[in-house]
Amino acid sequence: MSPSNVELLSEVASWNLMDANVHLGRSGIHGQLALEKSALLAEMDRFQTRRALVSHFAAEEYDISEGNAALARDMDGRFVPAWSASPEPSIVHELERLQPKAVRLWFSPLHHNFSSLPWSTGKLYDYLQQRSALMVVSREELDWNALAIILTEFPKLRILLLDVGYRSDRYLLPLLQTFPQLYFDSTTYVAHRQLESFVETHGPERVLFGSRLPLYTPGAALAVLATARISDDSKLAIAGGNLRRLLGELPS
Amino acid sequence: MRSPIPVVDCHGHIGTHPDFPAYKICPQEMVCVMDLLNIESLAITSTRACYNDCPRGNEEVDSVLRQYPGRFRGYVTVNPNPEGEALQQLERFAHFHQPPLIKFHPDLHKYPVNGRKYLPAWDYANQTHAIVLVHTWDSDPNCGPLLLGPIAREFPGAHILLGHSGVTWRGYEQSIEVARGSPNVFLDISGSHSHRTIIEHCLNQLGEERILFGSDMPYLEAAMVLGRVLTARVSDGNKEAILRHNFLRLLTMT
Repeated sequence: MSPSNVELLSEVASWNLMDANVHLGRSGIHGQLALEKSALLAEMDRFQTRRALVSHFAAEEYDISEGNAALARDMDGRFVPAWSASPEPSIVHELERLQPKAVRLWFSPLHHNFSSLPWSTGKLYDYLQQRSALMVVSREELDWNALAIILTEFPKLRILLLDVGYRSDRYLLPLLQTFPQLYFDSTTYVAHRQLESFVETHGPERVLFGSRLPLYTPGAALAVLATARISDDSKLAIAGGNLRRLLGELPS
Repeated sequence: MRSPIPVVDCHGHIGTHPDFPAYKICPQEMVCVMDLLNIESLAITSTRACYNDCPRGNEEVDSVLRQYPGRFRGYVTVNPNPEGEALQQLERFAHFHQPPLIKFHPDLHKYPVNGRKYLPAWDYANQTHAIVLVHTWDSDPNCGPLLLGPIAREFPGAHILLGHSGVTWRGYEQSIEVARGSPNVFLDISGSHSHRTIIEHCLNQLGEERILFGSDMPYLEAAMVLGRVLTARVSDGNKEAILRHNFLRLLTMT
């Protein structure tokens, strides 16, 4: 017997994989797990990941403008930038220049410490909605009630919720049924047969493959998708088709 | 994707869970998933017992062991809170396995793993060379891995599996520290956090014999942990040890 990862990664090679949850650059919290551009690309190669929606640790942990500049400096043809933003007018002005397809928000006091509610961030939501930019946010950054308010007041704002966790279904599923513009990534959707059961019941369109690279190994999320007893078309949609459609690269 | 080596899994459950919907959790469906992934056998604890009712939960494990011989092994789950119940349960269900498999869940039972009321069960484990699976979490006052260091030295006959290895990266570091100080401590790599390079790190620090595959099925997705191991930058021999041989060796120790 000779265990290897060949079977998993050869299957993934045909998926045209696009990862919705990737971080770039130095991190003050995650130390050696964080990867600069060349090392991150090498790790993507290893896991057959062709492209990724990428945010920068500098924007998450330190300064939004500096983080966006670092992301621009480190840009690669395989990265789709998830630019960071806050409600401040200077940042919104900066977004105009960046012409964003995806914008990542960091609400929590540990990050950029602003309210997710419309009285604080409504103008930014309106801007993103008008230019059809994808709002990207980690579940850890906002509570479910705030998410419901945003989805209600901005019905054309498409939101990608990352890191939903495996205990989330009693919140996540009603919101997905009520708000067609809500999507989530698969990184931490890892209860027993949870992804498989979701697709059987709700179809594959609302879930996007994510790995949390470089903090997590993509081997985990890839194995969950590879072993889900769902159709090949469903796997391809989750593996990248859904994200490409949200970014306007495929017809919706 | 299927494991190329038959897996011997040290951490599983039967039953539902209160805090999120359960999918495909009946033993028959679990066996289908085990076949899909090539998990030869799964050591199970009753989730009901981890929450509120050890006697009934252990009876449910007994029933599953009889229904699926060879596919499941049974932990006797004990709760220190009704004093005296732990030893009764261990004696009543002593037929589950020899050496005994014992499960402690100090987090859900809200009692510290090094507390006085656990001592009779630790003493039993020491005398019977039991395998004791303890739920652990980074720095938790009831089940932080560092609490197990003195226990492991006081009860050297017990083989202690640090369930989830403390979960977080820091929890893993605490687990490694405890295992380095006590040869009867082992890391169970089940858990919801898929830290990149953690398998490699544990092997570098402890060698291959102290790391055991656990899935936490049907609570967590077994394929997630399998993917971590199969894609780790370690040798095929290391993977075989983790996925199969290390737990098998403990199961046959007396």
